[in-house]
Amino acid sequence: MNFFKRAWLNVWAKKGRSVLLILVSSAILMFVLAGLLIRSAAVKATDQAKADVGATVTLSANRQAAFKKMQSSSSSSTSKSSRPKMTLTPVKLSDATKISKLSNVKSTNVTSSTTVNAKSYDVVSTSTGMGSSNGGGPGGMKSSTSSGDTQIDGVTATSLATDFSSNQSKITKGRGITTADKNTNHVVIEKDLASQNNLTVGDTITVKETAGDKAKVKMKIVGIYKASSTSSSSTSPMSTDPSNTMYTSYTLANTFKGSTYAGTADSVTFNISNPAKVSSVKTAGKKLINSSKYSLSTDDSSYQTVKASMDNVEGFANKIVWLVAIAGTIILALIVILMIRERRFEIGVLLSLGEARWKIVAQFFTEMLMVIVIAVAIAGAGGKFVGDQLGSQLVSQSTTTTQTTSTSSGQPGGGSGGGQPGGNGGGAGGPGSTSTTTSAKAADTDLDISVSAVDLAELGGFGLAITFLSIMIASGGILRLEPKKVLIS
Amino acid sequence: MLKTEGLGYWYQDKSEPLFQDINLEFDVGQSYAILGHSGTGKTTFLSLIAGLDKPKEGDILLGDRSLKKIGLTNYRRRDVSIVFQAYNLFTYMSPLNNLLTAMAITGAEHAGDKHFALRTLNDLGINEDLATRNVQQLSGGQQQRVAIARTMACDAQLVVADEPTGNLDEDNTKEVIDQFQKIAHDRQKCVIIVTHEPDVAARCDHQYRLENKQFTKLA
Repeated sequence: MNFFKRAWLNVWAKKGRSVLLILVSSAILMFVLAGLLIRSAAVKATDQAKADVGATVTLSANRQAAFKKMQSSSSSSTSKSSRPKMTLTPVKLSDATKISKLSNVKSTNVTSSTTVNAKSYDVVSTSTGMGSSNGGGPGGMKSSTSSGDTQIDGVTATSLATDFSSNQSKITKGRGITTADKNTNHVVIEKDLASQNNLTVGDTITVKETAGDKAKVKMKIVGIYKASSTSSSSTSPMSTDPSNTMYTSYTLANTFKGSTYAGTADSVTFNISNPAKVSSVKTAGKKLINSSKYSLSTDDSSYQTVKASMDNVEGFANKIVWLVAIAGTIILALIVILMIRERRFEIGVLLSLGEARWKIVAQFFTEMLMVIVIAVAIAGAGGKFVGDQLGSQLVSQSTTTTQTTSTSSGQPGGGSGGGQPGGNGGGAGGPGSTSTTTSAKAADTDLDISVSAVDLAELGGFGLAITFLSIMIASGGILRLEPKKVLIS
Repeated sequence: MLKTEGLGYWYQDKSEPLFQDINLEFDVGQSYAILGHSGTGKTTFLSLIAGLDKPKEGDILLGDRSLKKIGLTNYRRRDVSIVFQAYNLFTYMSPLNNLLTAMAITGAEHAGDKHFALRTLNDLGINEDLATRNVQQLSGGQQQRVAIARTMACDAQLVVADEPTGNLDEDNTKEVIDQFQKIAHDRQKCVIIVTHEPDVAARCDHQYRLENKQFTKLA
């Protein structure tokens, strides 16, 4: 293996040329590594997004079908006084249980909303240009039901409620509602309401039902939460002040609504463990329900936004890797060709000594390999920096693009999301309001760019391939070279 | 040892050959000079017997084996050693590494033997200090002596030299020719020198002149 020694002697003797080659190779490999790092970070970020942002399928009354039914009744009716009203059928919990047993359903949140009137405390009043806003909003289960001054959001657990999972509301004292609070009178109230009435965890408050026998019900405060000013329930001028919203178990909310609502809910939200499986859960769920009465809607916009953003980054990173690799190969090949042309004389001497041509090619390959090994080390050290800079630039560009698209598509707030019944109080926000959260999450998605052994191995592979191709392209001349033409002129 | 049989060579077509039907014999322990004016084809003849090119016509036999059968690469590696006018050393190496490299490639008996290489260089006036410097730091005469040392370190029986004294002054020329004579007589090798200098040729055991496409043995 004499060519190893020759290669080493050459690299060492021509230090200046070797350093230049190392610098050129390092620059090429640094960009290849940056591309590889961004690509792998984008894949990791997409996987992480699946786990973090989640997706939901919501079972609720089929508003469209109910509307059509109302229209057909209206056309057959001639009297104005007997004009039919849209009746939404509450979701049966037995149906929800069936869906919750499907694979990929991580957890279930039952929502049942209503309003009650304050008895032992004073509600928080808000004066706006549009007048006092302590009334219930439209979109209730039955428009004939009178509205109270306190919004009751019955849930399975507050941690599963959108406001809490998106951190718009936070428990500041005590605890939230959990599944253990089912069939209890436990309540979580808002901080401003608590401070206005000097209420704290452990105290009891009394409310008066707005439906049925309008009985007084005592509730025990188990927690106090802080609502952000952008809470969805405050978006409508007709809705109650967000501070007057209380969280209870859905069973207590159903009790306030009347005995006919036992075992029902306004809507049931299923959290999906793998957002990519949302469609399959929806399809399977539809087979388990009466689709003329109920509908299943999906919300995986957060996942789709992050995925689209990361797909852009990943696609761009792939292009960087291949473009730099191809350009690098061409640049290195040209340098090696020039280098080999300068060494025709040496090749001639080697051939005159009877050296095999493949060993001459192997000598040049070994020389380049020595250069590439050092270049990989340098690129490994500098690639993270370049990757960080390039990655954050790419993410910000791609997130901005995706946000613009997602916001414009999410504008009509009352669209399909309007299908979610809002109980007796304010209606749930449509896609228009969720897009804010989605965009925020996508913007938060950052690329965790770190150089691992696998990345370095992959870079080494690229370096090896670039070197091999460069030498092979340049070696055409060596294989055809006639020693007589070089040595005897 | 080396025999040419009906050897012929031309560049464009057979009607304009450089030489044709050349039948010569070269023996070990003898030195041969090939004289001729520029362009007569003496260097081309040397390139054929050095295995750097293939004849257009005829054959070259080493012992009784044709070079076609031996293969030119094998022939160059094992059987022939070449000294060029421009020395043709590895410029990024020291004289010592030049010898060690050539010995390794040709698979010489003393391949890898650094002391043997240093001794060989020393015999030609290249001391250890010079032997470990970069070869480009040596004078022309010293470089040519390194080139000759390289042929001596390898085991080839045939040594061919193309104008080996072309770049040397009178003293160095004399010294180099003395070394070639030693290689032929003391080491029992066959030395063939192509030169245009009659003085150099006169010091060889046999002289041939290439003229009018034919070799003429000089008295």
